Amino acid sequence: MSKFTKTNFLHVFARNVPLILLFISVLNEFDFNYLEIKYFSFNFPFILIFYSSLKKSNYIGYGYIFLAGLINDAVVGLPIGISSLTYLLICGFAAYLRNITLRPSLFKDWLFFLFTILVVNSLIYIILVLFFSVNINYYSSMINLAFTFFLYLFFAQIFKFYNDLLSQGRYYD
Amino acid sequence: METNRDDFIIAVRSAFLKKNYKQRFSLIGLIFFSLLLLVLGKLNFTPVDYLRISLKEISYKSAFIVSVPENYIKNVARKIGSHFNLYENYLNIKSEIEKIKSEKILNEFIVAENIRLKKAIDDHYIKSEGVIGKVLIDKQSPFLKSIIINQGSKNKIKLGMAVVNNNYLVGKVVEVNYLTSRVLLLSDLNSKIPVILEPGSIRAILSGTGKNNGRVQYLKDKTKVSKNSVVYTSGSGGIFKAGIPIGKIKDPNLNNEIEVEFLAEFSQLDIVSIISFTKEAQTKAESEARTKIEREAQIKTETKAQIKAETKAQIKAEREVQIKAEREVQIKAEREAQIKISENVKNEALFKKLSKKYTIKCKKTFFNNLYVVGTPKFKACIMNKGIKKKKN
Repeated sequence: MSKFTKTNFLHVFARNVPLILLFISVLNEFDFNYLEIKYFSFNFPFILIFYSSLKKSNYIGYGYIFLAGLINDAVVGLPIGISSLTYLLICGFAAYLRNITLRPSLFKDWLFFLFTILVVNSLIYIILVLFFSVNINYYSSMINLAFTFFLYLFFAQIFKFYNDLLSQGRYYD
Repeated sequence: METNRDDFIIAVRSAFLKKNYKQRFSLIGLIFFSLLLLVLGKLNFTPVDYLRISLKEISYKSAFIVSVPENYIKNVARKIGSHFNLYENYLNIKSEIEKIKSEKILNEFIVAENIRLKKAIDDHYIKSEGVIGKVLIDKQSPFLKSIIINQGSKNKIKLGMAVVNNNYLVGKVVEVNYLTSRVLLLSDLNSKIPVILEPGSIRAILSGTGKNNGRVQYLKDKTKVSKNSVVYTSGSGGIFKAGIPIGKIKDPNLNNEIEVEFLAEFSQLDIVSIISFTKEAQTKAESEARTKIEREAQIKTETKAQIKAETKAQIKAEREVQIKAEREVQIKAEREAQIKISENVKNEALFKKLSKKYTIKCKKTFFNNLYVVGTPKFKACIMNKGIKKKKN
């Protein structure tokens, strides 16, 4: 059985899975629109960036997050820089929570995630509406945010499981 | 309280300003850089435009490659779904084909007649051969309903070109890169298309809702739209030619906002046609015929105007003659009346003069049977200078 070591390819790949997931998600959103489930949509990069910045701040570099934002803007058709700003603000909020937390709790993280996405999206919507005259369907956006919020718990568990797996691999070194 | 505030400031400073180990960039620095990009992008700063274009070219191609597994799953799901409904679809299609066959014969005649009439008024558009484009990305963002196609300025794609799928309008080109283009779908909130609703020839604007349907707006108050009315492009504004089918009225009501179900299925766009419309070039004979018709029409108009002016002048002259005649009649009548008055005065004077002399010869007394004073017979008697004896 192959072990996760710092030198082998598998280890490098495993460590960079969050980064790969981030770029895949901005290039091809996990929106599941082909399932044609009415109103269902969520923002996977928000969950990934928040969790990653909160738990393992060095997994995804800020530079990569900034680049992912630029790519997302190009793909979605938003003004260049707006998604980068969103993602980086989420990083900032997550870093703040990391600094003030002594005893991590998934429930508190979850509530702070809600606060973060609401504040950051409000700010971004203000910029888009006031400076770029973009019409926003607030109803769809709110549903998107609600699903993002609820799915955070699910993805947080998956990421936790993955991190544990990775830590075990390191332990075997 | 002081300590809490200090803790907050320290935590914020640490989160935004402090560079973590293994982080090459500072968070606050990147946030400012994002803001700078936004501002420069808004001001159309050239290097930012180049950055945007390069980023788009790379992103679109990369997104297409990354989308391959998802597209595969999507196609498999669609195929499985269609297999389940195979027999039902077969029966529906069979009955539709029969219906279409009978309609086609009638349509061919109407189309030919329509082209002939449109040519006569120089409003006949022909569509370009069209460029077939493959949909690279179909992002359903809450902000923008758009698709990316693999044709760009290299393939002579221009801004504003119509994008159709199975002859149904899906949107228009809003962004052209060298190898790719972005198509704004009709369902997008920012999409506004002038349309016409048939039957009734009701003109309106079709707006996207950000969902999978559209909304007909700016109708005249209390305009009644029947269910299943078909929405076509109106051709107003010169964006598209008139008559491209868009959708069907789903739920008509009187709130001036009617829901439209699009004929094209936006979530299953794979191949689209990008077309433009130009006026058909006329042949020399057609051009001459048209000039002749125009000249005839001009002559007709001029003649009509001339006849109108002449008729007006004639009526005026007749009226003048009539007024003159009436005036003459009036003058004559006045003159006659004057003559009559003067004759009357003359007679009166003569009567007065004669009455002094001949009253005895005409006045009725106890002894004779003559005329009562003041009667016409008495007056006639006076004027005749007494009763004339009849000669046998």
